[in-house]
Amino acid sequence: MASLVSSPFTLPCSKAEQLSSLSHKKLLCSFLPSRRAASRFRCAVATGGNGLFTQTKPEVRRIIPDAEPASGLPRVKVVYVVLEAQYQSSLSAAVRALNADRQHASFEVVGYLVEELRDDSTYQTFCEDVADTNVFIGSLIFVEELAVKVKEAVEKERDRMDAVLVFPSMPEVMRLNKLGSFSMSQLGQSKSSFFQLFKRKKTGAGFAESMLKLVRTLPKVLKYLPSDKAQDARLYILSLQFWLGGSPENLKNFLKMIAGNYVPALRGAKIDYDDPVLFLDNGIWHPMAPAMYDDVKEYLNWYGTRRDANAKLKDPNSPVIGLVLQRSHIVTGDDAHYVAVIMELEARGAKVIPIFAGGLDFSGPAERHLVNPVNGRPFVHAVVSLTGFALVGGPARQDHPRAIEALRKLDVPYIVALPLVFQTTEEWLNSTLGLHPIQVALQVALPELDGGMEPIVFSGRDGKTGKSHALHKRVEQLCTRAIRWAELKRKSKGEKKIAITVFSFPPDKGNVGTAAYLNVFSSIFSVLRELEHSGYNVAGLPETADGLIEDAIHDKEAKFSSPSLNVAYRMSVREYQSLTTYAAALEENWGKPPGNLNSDGENLLVYGKQYGNVFIGVQPTFGYEGDPMRLLFSKSASPHHGFAAYYSFVEKIFGADAVLHFGTHGSLEFMPGKQVGMSDVCYPDSLIGNIPNIYYYAANNPSEATIAKRRSYANTISYLTPPAENAGLYKGLKQLSELISSYQSLKDSGRGPQIVSSIISTAKQCNLDKDVSLPVEGEQLSVKERDLVVGKVYSKIMEIESRLLPCGLHVIGEPPSAMEAVATLVNIAALDRLEDGIYSMPGILAQTVGRQIEDVYWGSDKGILEDVELLRQITEASRGAITAFVEKTTNKKGQVVDVAEKLSSILGFSLAEPWVLYLSKTKFSRADRDKLRALFQFLGECLKLVVADNELASLKQALQGSYVEPGPGGDPIRNPKVLPTGKNIHALDPQAIPTAAAMQSAKVVVDRLLARQKADNDGKYPETVALVLWGTDNIKTYGESLAQVLWMIGVRPVADTFGRVNRVEPVSLEELSRPRIDVVVNCSGVFRDLFINQMNLLDRAVKMVAELEEPAEQNYVRKHAVEQAAELGVRVREAATRVFSNASGSYSSNVNLAVENSSWNDERQLQDMYLSRKSFAFDSDSPGAGMTERRKIFEMALSTADATFQNLDSSEISLTDVSHYFDSDPTNMVQSLRRDGKRPGAYIADTTTANAQVRTLAETVRLDARTKLLNPKWYEGMLASGYEGVREIEKRLTNTVGWSATSGQVDNWVYEESNTTFIKDEEMLKRLMQRNPNSFRKMVQTFLEASGRGYWETSEENLERLRQLYSEVEDRIEGIDR
Amino acid sequence: MATASLQSPHHPHLYHCRHRRHFPSTTTSSSSSSIFPTLSLSSSSSSTSTTATLAAILAPVTSSPTFDALAGLLAAKDFQQADEVTRRLLIALAGEAAEKRGYVYFSEVQFIAHADLQAIDTLWLRHSAGRFGYSVQRRIWKKARRDFTRFFIKVGWMRRLETEVEQYTYRSFPGEFIWELGDGTPEGHLPLTNALRGTQLLGSILTHLAFEVEEEEEEESAEKEEGEKDVSSSMRLFKPDYSF
Repeated sequence: MASLVSSPFTLPCSKAEQLSSLSHKKLLCSFLPSRRAASRFRCAVATGGNGLFTQTKPEVRRIIPDAEPASGLPRVKVVYVVLEAQYQSSLSAAVRALNADRQHASFEVVGYLVEELRDDSTYQTFCEDVADTNVFIGSLIFVEELAVKVKEAVEKERDRMDAVLVFPSMPEVMRLNKLGSFSMSQLGQSKSSFFQLFKRKKTGAGFAESMLKLVRTLPKVLKYLPSDKAQDARLYILSLQFWLGGSPENLKNFLKMIAGNYVPALRGAKIDYDDPVLFLDNGIWHPMAPAMYDDVKEYLNWYGTRRDANAKLKDPNSPVIGLVLQRSHIVTGDDAHYVAVIMELEARGAKVIPIFAGGLDFSGPAERHLVNPVNGRPFVHAVVSLTGFALVGGPARQDHPRAIEALRKLDVPYIVALPLVFQTTEEWLNSTLGLHPIQVALQVALPELDGGMEPIVFSGRDGKTGKSHALHKRVEQLCTRAIRWAELKRKSKGEKKIAITVFSFPPDKGNVGTAAYLNVFSSIFSVLRELEHSGYNVAGLPETADGLIEDAIHDKEAKFSSPSLNVAYRMSVREYQSLTTYAAALEENWGKPPGNLNSDGENLLVYGKQYGNVFIGVQPTFGYEGDPMRLLFSKSASPHHGFAAYYSFVEKIFGADAVLHFGTHGSLEFMPGKQVGMSDVCYPDSLIGNIPNIYYYAANNPSEATIAKRRSYANTISYLTPPAENAGLYKGLKQLSELISSYQSLKDSGRGPQIVSSIISTAKQCNLDKDVSLPVEGEQLSVKERDLVVGKVYSKIMEIESRLLPCGLHVIGEPPSAMEAVATLVNIAALDRLEDGIYSMPGILAQTVGRQIEDVYWGSDKGILEDVELLRQITEASRGAITAFVEKTTNKKGQVVDVAEKLSSILGFSLAEPWVLYLSKTKFSRADRDKLRALFQFLGECLKLVVADNELASLKQALQGSYVEPGPGGDPIRNPKVLPTGKNIHALDPQAIPTAAAMQSAKVVVDRLLARQKADNDGKYPETVALVLWGTDNIKTYGESLAQVLWMIGVRPVADTFGRVNRVEPVSLEELSRPRIDVVVNCSGVFRDLFINQMNLLDRAVKMVAELEEPAEQNYVRKHAVEQAAELGVRVREAATRVFSNASGSYSSNVNLAVENSSWNDERQLQDMYLSRKSFAFDSDSPGAGMTERRKIFEMALSTADATFQNLDSSEISLTDVSHYFDSDPTNMVQSLRRDGKRPGAYIADTTTANAQVRTLAETVRLDARTKLLNPKWYEGMLASGYEGVREIEKRLTNTVGWSATSGQVDNWVYEESNTTFIKDEEMLKRLMQRNPNSFRKMVQTFLEASGRGYWETSEENLERLRQLYSEVEDRIEGIDR
Repeated sequence: MATASLQSPHHPHLYHCRHRRHFPSTTTSSSSSSIFPTLSLSSSSSSTSTTATLAAILAPVTSSPTFDALAGLLAAKDFQQADEVTRRLLIALAGEAAEKRGYVYFSEVQFIAHADLQAIDTLWLRHSAGRFGYSVQRRIWKKARRDFTRFFIKVGWMRRLETEVEQYTYRSFPGEFIWELGDGTPEGHLPLTNALRGTQLLGSILTHLAFEVEEEEEEESAEKEEGEKDVSSSMRLFKPDYSF
């Protein structure tokens, strides 16, 4: 092997190309200024070359005719720019043929791929080429930054050029068209009927589609028009036909026509050309077929007569796969990759119906050719799109609803595989990012909105010929997976095998079956019962969910003995190695199998339990949780042997037809590999093998769901988070609220001062003194002061009371009852939805008493007693009115009967409107009826969706190989379209954010944050804010936190004609009226995966701001960058590096793992871990280099931070609910990095409610503790879920310790009160220990740890009790009887 | 159409005399192949077919490949040309549809007569001291547990990339291939069947009955690594079965 590697033949393609370009005259431009050379050096490891995504050069597309002065033929130069390379070989062939003919003219041609124009030297060459070309051709230029570049270069030369032809592209490029008198410069403005055709349909693929329609219809008309103008227009249409015809012959005639008609030197030459050979616009194509087919029946007839087909293909029962192809690849002959897929499928015994379309709308052809017109049933069992594009709209403007409609009719699994477009094969293989971000945006994110699955890269691109070629292993992966999906459609329920996979994380027995918000075993039980009903074989299923737990994790016997999961299979090492082709690759990290994880020393162990055809298995863990050194140093690791053995078992021994991953979230999709566009050596791809993957995922977590979709090919099915309730008040807080209410009624009676002093002392007992500055007891207060103190306490109490919390855990198949949905509806009603003409309930109510709700919010925040009271009344009235409404629409069991019907009967008699009846008894009786009616109509719809039960139905659909409808993930309160659940979750078009609305809200939050920091910091603006960008947050809010960063540094996003954001511009200092605040942006690994384009945008914004010639005290970005540049000896631009994340394929700082496993020594170690994992920067100057380690600049930037900041995005997830918030918190670290050792301010923005808040971290931690961990309503709700509830309680406590460790912002009383609640209460203690002894042990351990690490000071008595409990529970778990 | 110059592969004059007795129309397995050319002829005469037209344009127009030409090139150790001729010969043998298309569809391989494939193989074997040829590749492929990636690496059609993880990419044609029979030339390096359209074509050649006979024993003894049994049985499950 070594000899091959070092043999002289291994000269890499790209180098060879560079050599060939050396000989070219344009060589000079490739010498770059030194700054480029520097970046070139830095990223050499990752991509080589210029640090961009592609290193290909236009020189491979340059053809220069032989110099033959004697021939004296005029020379015609043609320059073309295209999105994809499929025209390259066809056009080259055409030009070579023309030059060989030696008639009329000789042709020089050079072609550019749009993406190549990012490179400065290439762009320079392009401009030079344009400067002396006769003809310019452009096609599919839809990337705005690059469209601008093309436009600038061509515009200058447009008048001089003989012809400019631009086929479907962004309007600004289309306007460059020029053919004699024909021009499109009026495009979009002119009223002429010609352009109206383009405008007829504004949405969807309309523009490009109507253009193509024009091509089909107009020539006939134009032929008979005599005028020159019509002649030019006709030739334009002909050009488009030639171009779309694509074959070398057509392109040859195209060039002849253009040259003959428009190149002055050839005017008299009378060049003959043939009319375009027209191919079908859309139809069916097969490499073996004698012709393209317009009719599926004809195609099937031919298919049936194929002599080369074997018995399997002729079998009427073999699966049929529909393929969607791009016509341009077929007509230009760049079809090798298509042929590969067709051959692979047929060789594996699947029939194919490969349809193609020339336009950008494939929905029509799909319906026409893949559905049987007679019975409306699909001919196919699965559809695979090989175009990579969204079904409707391609790279232009998509119409997802139409695509979904078409796919719903097809009702089969829909896979969208990807050809490499912007990268060559080798560039993709070399890239840790994987697929080019623009392609991810266009060809992964957009098809997901259609419900497309499995973004598998199946073809590569040769750098030299530009041709596509199969990636043989990827093609195999794609085809086997497609067939497996199709089999789900074909197989009977009784024979299908399903592997339900639950998670165990952290790897502790108390954690088997973890999933966010889900009661996993009850849900599995409910799923299995349902499957049994509908005909699946679930033999031996126990009677209850508890029975299931006992079977799977031996709870009954093992409750107090060492963890012993049920062993479902023992796999010998030999068997493991033979089943797992990549086993050897794992040895580097884990040594020889079996290793010591999921192993008995000889065999690998698969844990789980089988019932009939259903296997319930426990996914092994990452494996490195208990090993802090490994956490510290492994940038990425591989799965361990036990992990691999699990999936080998499921696929090859159990023989699963589908795997069902149960709940949010597992480890599979976070295994190392490329971010998007897996290759053969990426672990998620290898592990999942060829099993269809169905994944129950929490609806509120679209970002991680998206990772699962892209990296482990999951068909996600969303589930609802438990119904939220208001936190309510308890114990001292309840007393306080009673005191306040008596103060209000008695304050003028002379008892005021007395009540106020009780309020103050009770507030102190409740530890509210940290949140509200309370006067010293006994101090004389004026009436006004008293009101203010009471107002502030009241406001705090109201804040706690009305906080939403999800109660208990969700069970799949058990939607909330209508009454349980009330709190959710109240919050839905609290937001204005002006675009739908809906006003918020609080807004409507405030108006009736002559107030603006914003003013009431403001006053309440300030503690103005009347406003606090008014807000309480508004809140109460909202709840009352909505409760009254819900009561009317539900039956006795509390389920919604039929909202629509009920509602219309209600609406018919407006007098009887329940909310009106309710409000008539309050001070808001004069509320605007029309607005209310619109609001309640909307709420009725929402209610119907909240209580809908689609989660089981969707699962059954997926298991039957049906299409699962896509839907956005997010917060149902902000975006009720998240409902009903049971949808295949998608994120959003990454180029759509931040939206204008998000920018608006961001300004409010940033202004509040800066005001707060100024107030706490002697009126000084923070120079730097260190903040975190989360994927889910940005999806839910359409980029609010992204917009916050932009607003801090003082820039605004600029959207292009399609509404996509790829550009920013600075806001003037006058408009900003404050300094530009420097930032340190820490992007989560998930954000990096989903929004790499936005990281690019941010980096460009920061660099732009750093380079603005502004005074240092007005531009902190520049101030710091200049200082850092001097210190590091680099350019300012390079020092202005502020956008960080993990290395590619790695996630989180792992501080959370260390905390969860208590496997850390001191905070310093955690900080080291954070720095070593999070200091990878994205550089917009060399985006292709991916994430590059820049720890020095990361530390320097952090050391300037005066504040740290994060956003909370939804009511269900707060600081202590999940570990990732503290995992990314840098507060203590900033302190240790700062030269003055000062602790930075730490803030949390909460935009989950209508009244956005910026609180300090400490306040938020307190609020969280009060509403969750210490709130009886919350923990009793959890305990009602049993086993898993105890773990949830323990998790909150552990996460609280995490906050102590990273920020030091947890008050002592939080631990003290927790101890009182859970340990001192004997009754409670027993319940916890009984239900989940393992989690309880962890809890006790965590208390001791909090004390040991100095985060909790408490009595020795308390500690002694804990130590005693620990050994007690330890003994019982270990089975020692005392 | 530029097809007139291409002779039917089954025409005797393409053959060495020693193959003459295997002339397809006289063998049992040829019943299908003797019909097939007629079929494809008739379909091509009405060649309004768009695909065919296209393929014909794209296919390189050169002189017709013959066994004699191949023998001559191999004898002269011009492996690069011999490789080219082999590919074109295979296309010609696969029938007119393949010729028009410019490449062989995997399921057409079954129609190629045993003798023809064996003839190509024999020529390569003879002129490479037994190091080149389909039968050599078949042996290596089976040893690689029918895994094409492993096979490609073995015969030197893929090269290792200098990335952190071990991965390979296709060598680019023709510059990165080895066109001589040197010590460093991997066994089975030639003739080249490209993977532009995946591996089904090569798979069909390597599983062609022409190579089945003499190898039964070898199959048995093929590298009895652990798990060989399971893998080959699972592979067999997917193994294309186009032998009528």
